[in-house]
Amino acid sequence: MLFNSLTFVVFFALVLALHNAPLPWRTKKINLLLASYLFYAAWNPLFTLLLWLSTAVDWWVAKRMYAEQNQRARRALLLVSVLVNLGLLGYFKYGEFLLENFQALVGALGIAYQPAQWSIVLPVGISFYTFQTMAYTLDVYLRRAAPAKSFLDFALFVTFFPQLVAGPIVRPTDLIPQFAEPRVASRPQLVWGLALVTLGLFDKIVLADGLLSPAADAVFKATELLHPLDAWLGTLAFSGQIFFDFAGYSTTAIGTALCLGFSLPDNFRYPYAAVGFSDFWRRWHISLSSWLRDYLYVPLGGNRKGNWRTIANLMTTMLLGGLWHGASWTFVVWGGLHGLYLAVERGLTARFGAAAFWQRWAGRLLLGLLTYFLVNITWVFFRAQDFATAWRLLDTMLGLHFDGKAVLTTIDMLQVGVVIVGMLIAHALMRERQLHAVVGAAPRAVVSIVWGTMLWLILITQGQSNAFIYFQF
Amino acid sequence: MPSSISSSEISSDESEPLFERPLPALGNRLGIAMLVCLLLLAGWEAWVRSQQVSPSIRNSDGLWAEQRRRIDHGEGDGWVLIGSSRTLFDVQLDAWETVAGRRPIQLALEGTSPVAVMEGLADDPKFTGKLLVGVAPGLFFSGYEYRRPAIERFAKETPTQWFGQRVSLLFEPWLAFYDPDYALPAILHRQPIANRPGVEFKMEVRKLSNMGRDRNNRMWRRIETDPEYRDLARRIWAQDWKPLAELPPPRREKILASRASQIERTLAAVAKLKARGVTVVFVQLPYAGHYAVSEPDIAPRALTWDPLIEKSGALGLHFQDHPEMQGYALPEWSHMSAGEADRFTPVFYRLLQDQLAASATGAQP
Repeated sequence: MLFNSLTFVVFFALVLALHNAPLPWRTKKINLLLASYLFYAAWNPLFTLLLWLSTAVDWWVAKRMYAEQNQRARRALLLVSVLVNLGLLGYFKYGEFLLENFQALVGALGIAYQPAQWSIVLPVGISFYTFQTMAYTLDVYLRRAAPAKSFLDFALFVTFFPQLVAGPIVRPTDLIPQFAEPRVASRPQLVWGLALVTLGLFDKIVLADGLLSPAADAVFKATELLHPLDAWLGTLAFSGQIFFDFAGYSTTAIGTALCLGFSLPDNFRYPYAAVGFSDFWRRWHISLSSWLRDYLYVPLGGNRKGNWRTIANLMTTMLLGGLWHGASWTFVVWGGLHGLYLAVERGLTARFGAAAFWQRWAGRLLLGLLTYFLVNITWVFFRAQDFATAWRLLDTMLGLHFDGKAVLTTIDMLQVGVVIVGMLIAHALMRERQLHAVVGAAPRAVVSIVWGTMLWLILITQGQSNAFIYFQF
Repeated sequence: MPSSISSSEISSDESEPLFERPLPALGNRLGIAMLVCLLLLAGWEAWVRSQQVSPSIRNSDGLWAEQRRRIDHGEGDGWVLIGSSRTLFDVQLDAWETVAGRRPIQLALEGTSPVAVMEGLADDPKFTGKLLVGVAPGLFFSGYEYRRPAIERFAKETPTQWFGQRVSLLFEPWLAFYDPDYALPAILHRQPIANRPGVEFKMEVRKLSNMGRDRNNRMWRRIETDPEYRDLARRIWAQDWKPLAELPPPRREKILASRASQIERTLAAVAKLKARGVTVVFVQLPYAGHYAVSEPDIAPRALTWDPLIEKSGALGLHFQDHPEMQGYALPEWSHMSAGEADRFTPVFYRLLQDQLAASATGAQP
């Protein structure tokens, strides 16, 4: 079920009514669990079986692991969980990719191998809930946490519909305890939750789908060399589209959960105001980057084993982070570039970071713009359907082939210009601020007019219930 | 244990308080925001209605899928209409029902070759009725499928899409602004702003009709009454057109290859339908103006329509062959006005029945 659909409006109204009805807390949790399964089954009822399998295996493994003192047995149990979770992810998400690459490899060795057609449908959100359940088992294995006492609470943690299919990837320690005591949204929570839902849907429907996607689509589907202005504007449009699409989902998820009385963590903090890449990853898809840090980078040794090992750990983490997004080498390159940026930044900071210039506003502005420029280079690989497209775009973006074809209409260019400049200014202004504080301090009339106008724009944009980009991951 | 995820233990672990989202004090801002939204929406609705737009059912993929499912739900023994926009505009379901006594199912899709729909019906044993296939030569023989998503929606509609369509239908008959031609991105896209040299800008097809609950489609009255808007519709039809001979060779070859494959696919589908006892009738509905030049150019009758009818053995009704199908007003060259379509439909139905009866008895139609 999509947040930006009429079905969700009806569904959420019913869930909200049930959650506020005078029912026992256990009944309300069962309602939320059933609603979450319904939310997921609305795409493909069969795939709820995967959710159940993941829930049952991790519940059982964590219980046994917690009671087990023998380290080898604990490791074997962890292996069971990892194999089941990554096995499902591998089969559904990476099976075709692996097969294609195997075919290419043996082809290069002169063996003509023709596998059967791979026609597996990717279960929506499998990467998100797989990482969420793995965090639970890993926390218990690493003795960071005890397993949940209630199966109902654990099942709800795995399945909680606001963040089930595209995050934020919530840590068990953040969410399971919230199911322990009765929770219904207070009036301020409900109102702020609805405001966040409005903002999230505005980001997705009006900005991402309505104003930016036409330019991004026109540029990335072009098969000829483009004019540098078009290539740059298309890439900038995608930088905004991916942000408003994904941050829009996260904001709607956070608002939806808040309307029910639950607090989910932030997933974005104005990332295009980042000064450097460490800063960027503290602001972009925070729940994934912190997951990768805690469950991959740190266990690999983090930055505790010397410079070269740190660089290797960074590259490994970011390459796998790239692959997490999709079964394609373009995503691996995207992750690899970010790993490289982080490694280079680390070296440069150690050598030049102490200079006073970088602490002044001009230095920080320069670094911020450089960060955004380099992030846009990575977006080319992220969005391009193949390397030929990516190289062609980068060729004209960096080589400035002014004889390239112009594809963007003036109105597309205006839309991209207005939205992207507005986005960058907003990110810069909000860099050190919190949204709730800014909204709380703003004049009542301004907040009401802006909120009402956003609602109106959502309605007159008439979104086509386009899926969120991150659903494919 | 550094922390706990146990719901029973967390209360004893005071060291890590649960995250609670900070809240601004918003007071009655929600109410005022709703009021602002309603006022803006009312103004927007008034502006859209001032453009002569009245509420209408959206010609959505979900609506098409719903009509297509009627065949699965026991209505597959009657007439089914497929084709492109001419079948949608020119055949009026009310008028058809008046003369035939039963309403057909309207499955024509604008801007779309009906071959894929016909193939689906050929493979559907629940369809046992009669099939009217509208042939707009430029679309039919090119295989162009602007509305392909509708066909896919029928095949893969999810429960949430099905339910969303039901909810949408509650609003569609009441709100004029809920028309895709008046969506904000569509309005922005058609602003008359000059483009850079070399940019290929195609005007989107504007609103031409209003649709009913079962896809009965009637030309929007503004096409008849507003000469400027009618001219715009004509300009949109004619934009970017080039004779086949002037097209780049690869594109020309593609068009010629499509002709052959479309005919081949159609013949295969007709064979399947006939084997099941389904009557298939092809029809070319009237066109004029730009289309009188472009349709024969892209799909010459002798190379497309004639072999199709001959090889399929199906009845073919071409408007050029039947005076009953001529003389109707086509305001924007391609479709009949609502009044003309009301007048045309019973005449066409009687012609259809006469021709079917004649072909059944072996008489020369």
